[in-house]
Amino acid sequence: MPERNKSKITQWWRKLNVRHSLGLPLILLVLTTVLYFILQPNITRSGTVSRLLTSNFRTWLPVILVTIGQAIVILGGGLDLSNGSIVSVGNVILALTVTTPDEPGKNILMVVVVIAFGLVAGLLNGFFTAYLGLQPVIITFASSFVYSGLALLLLPSPGGDIPREYTSVYRSTQFLGIPLALIIIVLVVLIWTFFRQRKYGRFLFAVGGNDKAAYTTGVPVTWMKISTYVISGLLASLAAISYSLLTGSGLSSSGDDMTLASITGSVLGGISMSGGAGSVIGAVFGGVILGNIRNIISTLKLDSWWRTLVNALLIVLVLAGPGFINLIRGKKK
Amino acid sequence: MKSIVLYTEQIEKRFGGVRALRDGSIEVRSGEVLALVGSNGSGKSTLTKVITGVLSSDGGTIFYHDEPVTYNNPMAAQKAGIMAVYQELSLIPSLTVAQNIWLANEPKTKFGSIDDKTMNEETAQLLTLFEGTFQSSLHPEAYVLNLPPDERQIVEILKAYSRKPDVLILDEATASLDSKQVNCLFDLVQLLKSENKGLVFVSHRMDEIFRIADRAVILRNGKTVGEVVISQSDEDEIVNMMVGSTAGLSRVFSNKMDFSDKETILRVGNLENDRLTGVSFDIKQGELVGIGGLRGQGQSSLLHTLFGNDQYTGTITLFDEELDFDHPKDAMNHDIALIPGDRATEGLLLLRSIFENLHLPNWAKYSRPLLRMKRAYSDAGEVSDQLKLVMESLDSPVSNLSGGNAQKVVIGKWLLRTPKLLLLDDPTKGVDVGTKSEFYKLLGKLQQSGTTILFYSSDEQELLDLCERVLVMQDGNVKADLSGEQLTEANLVFYSMGATNNNHHNEESAHA
Repeated sequence: MPERNKSKITQWWRKLNVRHSLGLPLILLVLTTVLYFILQPNITRSGTVSRLLTSNFRTWLPVILVTIGQAIVILGGGLDLSNGSIVSVGNVILALTVTTPDEPGKNILMVVVVIAFGLVAGLLNGFFTAYLGLQPVIITFASSFVYSGLALLLLPSPGGDIPREYTSVYRSTQFLGIPLALIIIVLVVLIWTFFRQRKYGRFLFAVGGNDKAAYTTGVPVTWMKISTYVISGLLASLAAISYSLLTGSGLSSSGDDMTLASITGSVLGGISMSGGAGSVIGAVFGGVILGNIRNIISTLKLDSWWRTLVNALLIVLVLAGPGFINLIRGKKK
Repeated sequence: MKSIVLYTEQIEKRFGGVRALRDGSIEVRSGEVLALVGSNGSGKSTLTKVITGVLSSDGGTIFYHDEPVTYNNPMAAQKAGIMAVYQELSLIPSLTVAQNIWLANEPKTKFGSIDDKTMNEETAQLLTLFEGTFQSSLHPEAYVLNLPPDERQIVEILKAYSRKPDVLILDEATASLDSKQVNCLFDLVQLLKSENKGLVFVSHRMDEIFRIADRAVILRNGKTVGEVVISQSDEDEIVNMMVGSTAGLSRVFSNKMDFSDKETILRVGNLENDRLTGVSFDIKQGELVGIGGLRGQGQSSLLHTLFGNDQYTGTITLFDEELDFDHPKDAMNHDIALIPGDRATEGLLLLRSIFENLHLPNWAKYSRPLLRMKRAYSDAGEVSDQLKLVMESLDSPVSNLSGGNAQKVVIGKWLLRTPKLLLLDDPTKGVDVGTKSEFYKLLGKLQQSGTTILFYSSDEQELLDLCERVLVMQDGNVKADLSGEQLTEANLVFYSMGATNNNHHNEESAHA
């Protein structure tokens, strides 16, 4: 094999690209992070980096969680357009019910209710798309209206007040200087890696790669597909909890932006829209890249349409990148 | 008599209004190879899919180890020990060779995670069964999407074999393999036979059936019409049972034509690209030249290059005009037509009507000033009559047609342009005997009307029957240009295998 002769770094880079499609996401992650830190005025003062990391990750956590969920659905060959609306419902439930720290039992129960809602909403999506074989785009687009309608019904105008005792725990907890939000992300990725190295992971990539072939090989395709929507629903409910703790209040449209962000983040993270290729770490990278871009735009005091423009250009770059490279190399077809 | 491991009684299967299978009855015995024979649409694949649980039956019973069984999905059948190697591959392109072979059957570490190391090692072990018949790009960690069809088929075979089935069904498993690979597969089949496994072998290739099978069941129109013991039968008997009449296959061109005084119309000089390594040859007006050789030696690439589909360096001269195509449109404007090998992806819009497919390259003819639909319909009708297309109407979608009929549509759409140079890329792969002989007649007619034909086929017999001249390709180059006395099966195989020694072909041609 000719690969043997190449240096270790080239080999590592190849593996990163071919096996995990992480090359371009990693470059974007490093570039945007460096640019962001360069733009910060007091970057050399001690404690600034740690403070920025804490404030950034607690803001990004909801989006990163839904992006991970979206990535898993896309890896399995589907698409979830309702995850943002599930976040909205969870946020509204918590804002309405968790109002005082004096009733811990009830508060815990409501968190369980939010998680249960996420699971059931995901199960419904999965039932209609995987079991009945309907188009995921249409089904989850439709169900997103059901869920966001429910959120609006529960909380017609912004309100609710989550006790400061809870929100401050979320906002400022650190272990060894690592912010809580980052620890949660690492935990989720570790749990995912556990499943990724088992049958579940292999089956997921098989189903996303070619579901007919997976079926003839004896992979439980329907269950796998349903499970991806359930996981997406679960992660959306966790996103709802973290979002509620971040803002301390409820808004029936709180998750509206997250649906598109989760897709954008997945694409920026190197996950193939046709399924079966990519990695969940990529989704985390994608979420961070989106957060960095948002921060850079606001640090530069640019209008917010710049954010949309830059995001859109990056998506085109990531999706068309391989094609351009081939074009430059002169390969047709 | 060997013990019966699996038998089916009067299996029925309907797809909508069509009865694909009305009486599928077979007996599979342990330590024996049962050939399942029948023309396309006779229900062979349907029957095997019912047995393996991919399709559910509408009637009849399957007995496995003397118990009636029903499998609602492939998982259940696999658990019971029934595996199949399918014609349409069941591989996942985005996974590696090892991941595909062990999918849903992965070895585990003691911590319960997938043991990739063992998996890769055992895959390397399995690959030694086909050692020497594939390129070094086929290794356990290679991605299936980068493999050519024959290597994919090998992976598919090893995948089924690795599961140690009691009953193994090989559904057209040899269709994309070359002769060395087929030998390896047959060694494997012998091994399984000696282990008292039951084997079912579905194939269009008569010589393979006679080489490997012990008995054959013949299906016609979804019905089991007979069973023969191979050692007491011959090709004619089986073919007659398949077609249901006494008409066998006869050679189409018995009198060979002489082209020495015709003018050379196509000159190819030193053609090179990533699959071709300096191909040169000439073709005379009206010749039917075959391209032979093992699969994947650059034959398809040569045809696609001539059609402007692949990039190249070198010269192509057609009618004394040097061509520089970079798009198939250029080739079409020079009256070149290509009939691709993979009709489903390269030749047809499956969901659109037969009419639309036939006219796809031809609309310009009918466009002045408005589309002349009446003319278009009558022309399409004429072509479909000429091709003996079996269809409901010109407006029904191509996906409703059987494989052979669909292939006729691909040919038909180029006939409407009356090409001067026709390129054929293994057009009869997976096509039944009846359609093949109609197809041969069609080629004969075209040749008589002056069309020059370059014809790649993976079926050596077909090349011998049809062509006056065959270019044998190996490693992207023309290894031999055989015609006249030299054109024998022995020589075709000899040069395909990459031999260069000249003693061999002399003695062989004398004997042929």
